[in-house]
Amino acid sequence: MISARRLSRSYDDGERGQVRVLDAVSLEVQAGEFVAVVGRSGSGKSTLLHVLGGLDTGYSGEVTVAGTALACLGDLALSRFRNEQVGFVFQSFHLVQGLTARDNVALPSFFAAAPPADTLARAQEALERVGLQGKAARLPSQLSGGERQRVAIARALFARPKVLLCDEPTGNLDAATSEQVVALFRELNRGGLTVLAVTHEERLRGAATRVLTLAEGKLQ
Amino acid sequence: MNGAALRRLVRLNVARDRRASVSSVFGVGVGIASLVFFVALGLGVGHVVREKVFPVDTSLVEVVPSQLSLGLLGGKLDQSAVDRLAALPGVKRAYRKMQVRVPAVSVYDGDFFGRRLRMGIEVLAVGVDPDFVRRDVQLGDFSDPGEGQPIPSVAASRLLEIYNKTFAPARGLPQLSHGMVTGFTFPVDWNRSFVAETKPGPVTRSQAQLVGVSDRGLLAGIVIPLEAAVRLNAAAGADATTFTGVALEAVDPSQVPALVEAVKAMGLRVDDQERRLAENAGAAVAITTSAMALLSLLICVLAAFNIAHALSAAVRARERELGVMRAVGASRRDVFRLVMAEATLLGLMGGLGGTLLALAAATGVDMLAARVLPEFPFKPDSFFSLPAWLLTGGVVLGVIAAVAGAFLPARRASAIDPARVLAGQVG
Repeated sequence: MISARRLSRSYDDGERGQVRVLDAVSLEVQAGEFVAVVGRSGSGKSTLLHVLGGLDTGYSGEVTVAGTALACLGDLALSRFRNEQVGFVFQSFHLVQGLTARDNVALPSFFAAAPPADTLARAQEALERVGLQGKAARLPSQLSGGERQRVAIARALFARPKVLLCDEPTGNLDAATSEQVVALFRELNRGGLTVLAVTHEERLRGAATRVLTLAEGKLQ
Repeated sequence: MNGAALRRLVRLNVARDRRASVSSVFGVGVGIASLVFFVALGLGVGHVVREKVFPVDTSLVEVVPSQLSLGLLGGKLDQSAVDRLAALPGVKRAYRKMQVRVPAVSVYDGDFFGRRLRMGIEVLAVGVDPDFVRRDVQLGDFSDPGEGQPIPSVAASRLLEIYNKTFAPARGLPQLSHGMVTGFTFPVDWNRSFVAETKPGPVTRSQAQLVGVSDRGLLAGIVIPLEAAVRLNAAAGADATTFTGVALEAVDPSQVPALVEAVKAMGLRVDDQERRLAENAGAAVAITTSAMALLSLLICVLAAFNIAHALSAAVRARERELGVMRAVGASRRDVFRLVMAEATLLGLMGGLGGTLLALAAATGVDMLAARVLPEFPFKPDSFFSLPAWLLTGGVVLGVIAAVAGAFLPARRASAIDPARVLAGQVG
């Protein structure tokens, strides 16, 4: 499902010059796997996730996700890839203030080449999947942190992606809520969804079927 | 991004950044309002100057004799000179003019539209080829009826305007319309004057009858049929063969400069005093309007900068949100369109609001002018001209100003690196 070969990514860090964040990383994730990538801060975990999700294009090497080779895609095709093939969950939820939970979930349909006819029903279904069916009309400011993250997960699931990419999804949640979110990921993975999560969190690590460690830009 | 989604996000963003949106709309609105207001004022005043104060026919060239007679080369305006003028390339018609070369006065003592009037005034009369004023003649065919009959006369529209706005109110006389004066008859004593020297010979009394009011009328006198002027001059022993002027009607106004040169080459002069007055007045109005319009355009430019500033701030504040949109499938073009559409809406609101404000201000000024300003000649019902192109242009310019201001912020927004703005707190 996810294949990365000799993936490298460097940044220009002013005084320090070029800093290599990913150094010839190769990675294979099979369909239906739940992989956790762990590592210290600055080890390149988020960068790896962004590259695999088509958000970061300044890398060298080969990346194929859900059968799509990302290196040869232009902005439009890459946007469509993100819209249809992957779902992102971020540590800070990143919901659009002013849109209801239902509209936040349906946000990918705003940018879809062919928005589904049953957008609202699908958004409602995604909310039900994360246990927020009664809060569809709430604004982000009217939801708790855990609820906001669940709305973000529902948004990631809206387009029925093949891969879920999670960047410290429990980093801003308390222990109890964190547990609920991890359970949700486990359930989604059991349903056949491929999950790749970068994390510090022990619970999420424990839920993964495979744990990879990223240190100084290399996978161990 | 589909249209419905775009509209939804634009509405959301405009409503969310209400203060910045109101400031942007206000900026554009003020610029557009002042631009539309001043251009409309300039057009309105210019219209009055061109159509009422100096109704210059742009296809007419007024030829007068040279002050110095150049013998065979020209200078005199006799029939042969008129024939040569009529044969010049680009001339459609030549209308002869002959002033009645004896002084005349009108001593009126009787009923004047329901009021008693007793007054004596000097009368200047110029005979013209009837076709020159035929289109404005309401009574008869404007030909010389012969001795003993009232002479058909045409008055100037401007003279009637000055009478109505100045003379009549000061004397308590009635206001007169074109229709009312048609048929009015008054006595004229030829070879009589209150101020000038008269020719030897008797004073001849006749009647003059107003048969129309025309823009081609004489500001300080009356226009009569050419044959009547010839007859009156001949009877008084004055020159009845040469003309005091010829009005050349060009095939179209673009040929006027060439005609003027040809006339001068014939040793004749062109009387362009009225035209120059009209041009000077028109230029004064145009310069004033342009200055005001320029100032207004400057306000529009400032409004564009204001929008650029507001949207730049909004884009900075919404970086993460735009990053999320990119993460869920928005392309760079989608983000660019979103910011530009937002600016278009602000510009449309500002343009519409500004144009409506200008309309309201123009109406208010007209109402105030009607109530506060005293009557004066050529005072228009409205000082403003608001053609459809100006109103549409105001709205379009509002949008253009906003879109121009939004271009760079939109470019910046579309270039946002989603990986950077969405990076978590850990690496």
